[in-house]
Amino acid sequence: MPDSEPGILVARLARGETAALGEFFDRCAGLAYGLALRILRDPTEAEDVVQEVFVQVWRQASRYDPGRGSPEAWVCTIARTRALDQLRRRAARREEPAGPDQPSSARPAASEEALAVRKALDGLSGDQRRALELAYYEGLTQSEIARRLGEPLGTIKTRIRSAMMRLRETLAPAQA
Amino acid sequence: MNDHPQRELAPLAALGALDGESLAEWNAHVATCEPCRRDLAAYESVAGSIGTAADPRPVPAELRRRVLSSLGAPAERSRASRAPWALAAAASIAAVALAGGLVWALLAREDARREGQRAEREARALQERLAREQSALAALVAAADTRTTVLAGLPAAPGARGRVVWNPAQRRAVLVATGLPPAAEGKAYEIWVIAGAAPVPAGLFQVDARGEAMVEMPWVDEAARPGTFAVTLEPEQGVPAPTGPMVLAGAVS
Repeated sequence: MPDSEPGILVARLARGETAALGEFFDRCAGLAYGLALRILRDPTEAEDVVQEVFVQVWRQASRYDPGRGSPEAWVCTIARTRALDQLRRRAARREEPAGPDQPSSARPAASEEALAVRKALDGLSGDQRRALELAYYEGLTQSEIARRLGEPLGTIKTRIRSAMMRLRETLAPAQA
Repeated sequence: MNDHPQRELAPLAALGALDGESLAEWNAHVATCEPCRRDLAAYESVAGSIGTAADPRPVPAELRRRVLSSLGAPAERSRASRAPWALAAAASIAAVALAGGLVWALLAREDARREGQRAEREARALQERLAREQSALAALVAAADTRTTVLAGLPAAPGARGRVVWNPAQRRAVLVATGLPPAAEGKAYEIWVIAGAAPVPAGLFQVDARGEAMVEMPWVDEAARPGTFAVTLEPEQGVPAPTGPMVLAGAVS
């Protein structure tokens, strides 16, 4: 169904078509929610993030640039930013982090992009992957990661850089 | 080619992982360096992709409704996204698709017994509406010997509520449920009747865009003397014994 292809949906959103929002939500909200849950581990906060994400999607659809990445990646970037903002607000209020990850009842979806990224992540060393995940899912800076892992700053910088270069080569070989 | 030691910082900058002097150095440099800005954009694409590999999670129906209505968007699901299930449902149970208001009509009938005259008038009005719209179902609701069992939401679906309205003489049972998240792709909710022995499957259903469902359950003998009604989340073709998380349950009193 060509009108439902994600890039087309965003174009329809950019034209102000509210009718496209439901479909775009059904495409991407599960991913935004899953990502927010992984970062925040709190369903209520994660739900708030999903709300914020789609408000931003609706307001900024005309600014989406397909050259920068897929619509799903765009939604994930917004979701990560919002979720990390909330994580930092929570840390600033010194609240205890909410409970452990809930078991998933959904079969993980597998877009081609997701499969390619998972394969690329599997190709990283454990050290590289851990450092990357702390930066991505916890929003830690290089110094915070070095402290958390008890490693020199230079080591962490190299690990993250190598991980990202490896991902870039795998995901966009023509441009790397 | 110019020496570009700052180029090393681009991948970290894309993640927002720079701090301290590195961050200051990068910010000062990237303002005047086009190749590094291009590099940053490439690494930001990579960073954007990382999130797509996360596991999606089912979105609660109430959240979907809230988000879409706050943006002025229609909340009905497109037929395309539901078509494959619709065929399976028609094959497994007689799903009675009624307007959301009728769900509350059934719930209101029980409350009316407890809340006196005004509520009775409301219940009668709703019953009349039911009668106009679905006369067969109204017969079940109106019969004096029809029983109702309240189902409570379990930790897997804390916002869920439900009732089974059942009548052994008519050999009919209807499940009404609200507050259930839509089942994930390839899954459906399955109803169980437990009458002392193993749970007996009694129908499959999906919730609508409002997270509600009202379904005519296939009559099973155990429903003549049930002990408990329950709902679990299962593979969409159904299973002969419960395997998935339980979302609703209620004991017959």
